[in-house]
Amino acid sequence: MREFVAVARFGGRLYWRDKVALSTSVALSLGLGIGLPFMMAKVRPGVPGVVLDTHLGVLAMVLTVAAFMQAAVTLTARRDQLVLKRMRATGLHDREIIGGELVNISAQTVLLAFVVCGVLYAVAGLPLPRNPLALVLFLVAGVSVLSLLGAAWTAVISRAEVAAVMSMPWFMLAGVGAGGFGPVVKLLPAWVGTVLDLLPTGGLVVGARAAYTGEGDLLLPLLNLAVWAVVALVSVRLWFRWEPRKS
Amino acid sequence: MIQVNGLTKSYGDFQAVKGISFEAVPGEIFALLGRNGAGKTTTIEVLAGFQRADAGEVRVLGLDPGKDRRGVRRRTGIMLQEAGFFPDLTVAQTVDSWRDFTPWARPTREALELAGLLDRSATKVRQLSGGEKRRLDLALALLGRPDVLFLDEPTTGMDPEARRNTWEVVRDLAASGTTILLTTHYLDEAQRLASRMAIMDRGEIVAAGGMAETLAAQAGRVSFELPPGISPGDLPLPVTMEGGVATCRAEDPDLAAQELLSWAAAKGLRLRGIEVRTASLEDLFLEGIDHA
Repeated sequence: MREFVAVARFGGRLYWRDKVALSTSVALSLGLGIGLPFMMAKVRPGVPGVVLDTHLGVLAMVLTVAAFMQAAVTLTARRDQLVLKRMRATGLHDREIIGGELVNISAQTVLLAFVVCGVLYAVAGLPLPRNPLALVLFLVAGVSVLSLLGAAWTAVISRAEVAAVMSMPWFMLAGVGAGGFGPVVKLLPAWVGTVLDLLPTGGLVVGARAAYTGEGDLLLPLLNLAVWAVVALVSVRLWFRWEPRKS
Repeated sequence: MIQVNGLTKSYGDFQAVKGISFEAVPGEIFALLGRNGAGKTTTIEVLAGFQRADAGEVRVLGLDPGKDRRGVRRRTGIMLQEAGFFPDLTVAQTVDSWRDFTPWARPTREALELAGLLDRSATKVRQLSGGEKRRLDLALALLGRPDVLFLDEPTTGMDPEARRNTWEVVRDLAASGTTILLTTHYLDEAQRLASRMAIMDRGEIVAAGGMAETLAAQAGRVSFELPPGISPGDLPLPVTMEGGVATCRAEDPDLAAQELLSWAAAKGLRLRGIEVRTASLEDLFLEGIDHA
């Protein structure tokens, strides 16, 4: 446990020194996460549910950037710089290295989500959640699953320079599925919406909406996240690469 | 203690290590020599638990590194040939961070002092030279007071003074009981440090033994410019020719030189450029590889 915490703390120190992480994960997430719902509140005042709908749609995108993409970028960079290899040369267990990094990224992302929710409550009239514990549960679980999936996704990323670009499809899918780009999904065949709901961001958004409104099932979105967690864990176990490809 | 018995490791169709065996005991510096691609780094990576052996038995401190990697790594230090740092951290911050991952770690100052990097503590890693990065590597490898130390090309890129300091540290560690497995391209380094060695070529050990005995058993050389008008067959000892230079290989090169000089004096000839050399590790290395 001591080593696990040490890696997470170390990751945290590096995170706040990393200008790219600060500009994409932090600045972009705060800007997008607060700016878009705030703008919608101003553009369409008095329309019921508009702030919550926009907030949840954008939240799915923001968390994909801050957790999934950040995990993929960080771990690919560490892998390519052979820092993961050096960390493995210590007494650290493999799961402590990956887990510590992901705990740090997840903690930073959950913190960002709290800031976004708090600011939107203060300035854009976002309602308080009816079930705050459920909201915290879905934020923590959703962010953890997304960062774990980011770690699994590194297996298909050839080098650090393309990590962000290769994570973009997930950002787009999350945005379309959760409504972050507006009601695009309504223009598409019904089955597309059904498939996009199966994404981990789908589970997160459905769960968070139920927490805000106090209506809806919590079990199904939790099951969604649990399935994705298993998929990510198995993928990491089978395909995670500790060193860059030699050819 | 390191025990390797019939170690085999392949990458796809390429067999990198072919059934090698050797042993290093506590307090010993064992050198693994060979050209690039000979299989030295693969051997170290298997011993350190980065790779699993395809066949054979490997034990480090009595543990199987493939099965108990954590147990092995907690008691070993590794200076990898290729491993990265966080470029924006300073030298001291890097060691401080690594101390958190290392049980029973030395104080940062002590590790940096051992590696000769104390005066560069506040320098960012990105500003270090190649040799200084190797010294930082050494500092990290020594951090956990290891019982076994793997040094893969430890002094590559170091200046002569840093190399000498590193040798001193390595000798002191061995004297205090640390088992050290060293790979190096610098044969003088192996000759100065190691008490035993193995030469690898294309995944196999082609020569092995105690450094002093192995070298003593090797032939020395006497070389000189062949005098004009003399053919190699006229000489009292057999020689090989390369350009105009004759080389005579002999178990006792001093005696051979005396015989050649006496013969030349009797004929009124001068043996220009005469050189007498006892066997070096380089001779042994080249011979081992030529015969493989």
